[in-house]
Amino acid sequence: MAIHLIALKGALVRITKKIAFSALATALVAGLMIAQPAKAATDLTIGTVLDIDKLDPHTSTNFETIRDLGLVYGSLVEVGSGNVIHPGLASSWVFSNGGKTLTLKLRSGVKFHDGTAFDSADVKATLERILNTATGAVARSNVSTIASIATPTPSQVVLTLSVPNVPILAALDGVNVAMLSSDDIAAGKVGGTNKPNGTGPYKFVSWTAGQQVKLSANTSYWKGAPTIPNITIRVIPNEASILAALNAGTIQFAAITDPLIIKQVGKNLNVIKTPALQYYALQFNTKVAPLNDVNVRLAIQCAIDRNEFVTTALLGQGAISGPITSPAFKSDTSARPCPTVDLAKSKAYLAAAGKTSLTFKVLVTSNGWATSQAMAQNLKAQLAKANITMELDITDQATYVPRWLAADFVATLANNGGRIDPDTMYTRYFTSTGNLNKVATYSSATLDANFLLGKSSGLKAVRTKAYDAITKELEDNAVWVWLATPYEYRVTSKNLRNFTLLATGSYLPLRDAKLS
Amino acid sequence: MKTNFFFSKLLSVLLTLFGISIFVFVVLRVIPGDTITGTLGTDTGVLSPEQIDVLKQYYGIDKSLFGQYTSWMGSFLKGDLGFSFTTGLSVAKLTQSSLAVTAELAILGTVLGVIMGIAVGMFSARKPGSVRDFAGQLFGLLALAIPGFVLSTTIVAVMANKFHYFPNGLEYMTPWRNPWMNFQQMMFPALVLGIAVAAPVMRTTRSALLETVDKDFVRTAHGKGVPARRVQFKHVLRNSLIPIVTMTGIQFGYLLGGAVIVEKIFALPGMGRQVLDAINHREYATVQSSVMIFAILFVTINLVTDLIYRQIDPRIK
Amino acid sequence: MTSRVKEKSWLHYYLRSTSGVIGAILVFLMVLLSLIAAFKLYPHDPVLQDIENTLKGPSGKYWFGTDQFGRDIFSRCLDGMRRSMIVSIFSVAIATVVGVTLGILGGYFGRWFDSVVVRMSDVIFAFPAILLALAIVNSLGNSWIDTSLAIAVVYTPIFIRVARGPVLSTKEMDYVKSARILGFSSPRILVSHILPNVLAPIVVQIALSLSWAILTESGLSFLGLGTQPPNASLGLMVSDAQALAAFAWWTLAFPSLFITIAVVGLNLVGDGLRDSLDPARRNS
Repeated sequence: MAIHLIALKGALVRITKKIAFSALATALVAGLMIAQPAKAATDLTIGTVLDIDKLDPHTSTNFETIRDLGLVYGSLVEVGSGNVIHPGLASSWVFSNGGKTLTLKLRSGVKFHDGTAFDSADVKATLERILNTATGAVARSNVSTIASIATPTPSQVVLTLSVPNVPILAALDGVNVAMLSSDDIAAGKVGGTNKPNGTGPYKFVSWTAGQQVKLSANTSYWKGAPTIPNITIRVIPNEASILAALNAGTIQFAAITDPLIIKQVGKNLNVIKTPALQYYALQFNTKVAPLNDVNVRLAIQCAIDRNEFVTTALLGQGAISGPITSPAFKSDTSARPCPTVDLAKSKAYLAAAGKTSLTFKVLVTSNGWATSQAMAQNLKAQLAKANITMELDITDQATYVPRWLAADFVATLANNGGRIDPDTMYTRYFTSTGNLNKVATYSSATLDANFLLGKSSGLKAVRTKAYDAITKELEDNAVWVWLATPYEYRVTSKNLRNFTLLATGSYLPLRDAKLS
Repeated sequence: MKTNFFFSKLLSVLLTLFGISIFVFVVLRVIPGDTITGTLGTDTGVLSPEQIDVLKQYYGIDKSLFGQYTSWMGSFLKGDLGFSFTTGLSVAKLTQSSLAVTAELAILGTVLGVIMGIAVGMFSARKPGSVRDFAGQLFGLLALAIPGFVLSTTIVAVMANKFHYFPNGLEYMTPWRNPWMNFQQMMFPALVLGIAVAAPVMRTTRSALLETVDKDFVRTAHGKGVPARRVQFKHVLRNSLIPIVTMTGIQFGYLLGGAVIVEKIFALPGMGRQVLDAINHREYATVQSSVMIFAILFVTINLVTDLIYRQIDPRIK
Repeated sequence: MTSRVKEKSWLHYYLRSTSGVIGAILVFLMVLLSLIAAFKLYPHDPVLQDIENTLKGPSGKYWFGTDQFGRDIFSRCLDGMRRSMIVSIFSVAIATVVGVTLGILGGYFGRWFDSVVVRMSDVIFAFPAILLALAIVNSLGNSWIDTSLAIAVVYTPIFIRVARGPVLSTKEMDYVKSARILGFSSPRILVSHILPNVLAPIVVQIALSLSWAILTESGLSFLGLGTQPPNASLGLMVSDAQALAAFAWWTLAFPSLFITIAVVGLNLVGDGLRDSLDPARRNS
């Protein structure tokens, strides 16, 4: 009898436990589904794969740092709609003295976030900071032609250049030449842990490292207060998870680079895209065998089907490009030895080099950008058809960088930044005194002459001629194989309106956007 | 005798830690790239040699290797773990918050895993050779075999994309600020890690339980009217505690270092991500100090489990 | 005095263990699939791209469907299995030889040599595996040999421990002590007295480590540190499938299945070996 009672009691306990457990579980799951925190419907949360890495605009190269600080700081000119230069903190400008003097008229009534006024003293201090080698400013080489800076009035700056340099105007756009307050510079309060103090549409509120950056609207912004009151930029280190967050509504805006992820975006979100300025190229080391023979290089160029490359590696999300991607001076992609794939020609070039087959090694980054490995594999498969064996030497990005810088490669698949102006885009690579000429491995007297011509003339016709000549020389010698430009993608919630995406990928147009 | 033992253990721990400090220092210098290329990327090329010299001084990499080691070790021993340039925080401050996240994840994962493992093990052992047993054992094997990253991506794909539920897309909340949100954000990653821990725990529990069935003392207790289950449970606790404790120590250590992938997929700001990001930026001080902290914890945990082990099992002396 | 009762071989006990048998069948299947790949008997070339047929589901032509380059997933799974097997066998072999040798020598000869061995083993044990793998891959290269070396380094401490334990207890036993007194040479004692006792746990550990090595290789490939494309690797296939799984389930399902079969099979074999080699467990 006792045993039966014990068994019964045990059974009762078991059943009660099971019911309680199921009830709890159900309540938990239901609660989770409902318990989404409420937030102001007009605030914007942006998702990003990378965190920012510093607060000093002059030394940042990390693209997320540049994008975020681009909302906090302003520059003298801005690249805006139509991908042309618009007035920024400078309302107008004029070149004189054969392109050797640039006089800028500053916009009036502009204030820094701390309330102090913006004037020519700030411009002078900023430019001097950039030119000072101790700063480590990445834009220094772009503005190194500035010989002296004069500030005759608080709203006027006169730059005297050592050589005529019209493209310097383009070099005055962007976060790397952001205008800082002369007081901050003098007090050493730039970068480090100092709160950014800029003239941009958004004030810097906080940075929780590895997690998020918080910004709030600058109501005294010179272009009018932005509509979106608060912006949070949140780190979600994985693009698949970013898409998940967009779908769940926890973020409303994100830059996506992987075409495979773009493919999965549903009808509940908006995809905005624009051709980017950055480009992909197969860089050759023209000083090293077998690529020191121009015929070998041309053979490789002719064996590549750029259309297939874009279709397969970029899932069709890109455009074939030539060297220059700057919209005003874009290279003509049909003006090259093999505008379309031509295996017969490739074979002929190989024969001219005295070969029937070829093997060469390509340095590839495994995680530099989303499609790097897909591109490498596609090129390898394509070249195999022309009897050319491309061996892949794959390393992670942090290891790739020093090797790229030292030109420690026979060839490499690169993703290089583009610019609005071909001068700032390529003088560093293809002039004999350029900082990156060691990496580009090619220069010539004719290239030097043409770059100088493009730099010093203010006439579009003259500049176009110079840059066309440069394109021709680079393509005819197959110095590199220029492949394609990708799209810049932004995936947004449906209620984000009035946002235009620029080729530079800047967040600045958010100053005009709103969440309805 | 006891103090002798303690001191020799302490010495061995210190020697191990010293070895690790040398090892991590050397390993980092062997990998190509330095802090400058790690933070500026390919744009390093636009800097002039003077600018690079300035940066070298700033990052402290202009000194000789020996100088760099002694300067780092010297500060470390005084409690200054170094400065993380890419976050603008001292490594100590950075590690404080990230370690809390990873530790919480590891603890939750371990606890969850142990509970799941013991529960399934007991469930399985009740009727050895039956369908339940087979199901339980299958669970154990699958839990072991399915990689964590597969499970994680599946969860994200289903929960976020199908059910639009993704708490990890919101600002991370510590348990002090918002316990409910923190729980939601830890739930799935802890589950993934817990499943990996549950597998060996389940099998140990099951075999420990099966061993007891035949034992005399169980039969005696049963004859006296004590339910077999209670005796089994007590016996399980005592016998399987030893391997479980040892295993937990090792698992916990692995979890601390091995949660990287889960942290990445679920956007948790933990130690794994901190170390990986610092490696990618070649931030020497951050990596070195973080690895030292991790090693100190790991060694301490092992020491503690070792001592517990000796207490529980008098056979070991 | 010879015993009249014939001792049953370990194989007899192994075959009595259900899990051991199932495991053996699965492992045999894995080896068969790997051999098929080794002799290139797969239906399609694993690296051949078929641009017209990217991301197509399982069909008559492509049994497991195709990936984002139109490559046959079935053939890639076979080749990936082969590669996983090679890497795991090679890495565990190195870890076993180095670890067991150091463990036995350290445990037997003791004193400073043993301390050094234990110290080194602790250092590697406490070091984050990812950093180790990154360092090795970056300084040596990323061929399958280098990946195997990275995995071998991570697993050597375990073998040192597994080998050292029994040595420490065995060397105190009377029959070993008497052998030493009798003047038997150290190598002879090591081989004929010590080694047999160490063999059983090592064999079990080998089976377990092989399964871990497969998981580690796939984890490293997932992080980009393992097998390099376009070579097929189960871990790499799962990594690529992250972005594809939502609309092409076959890219994730089949490589995961293969990893699971391999790991489950090897674990079951480890169980079977443990049950059959440990005299205490033989009658359970």
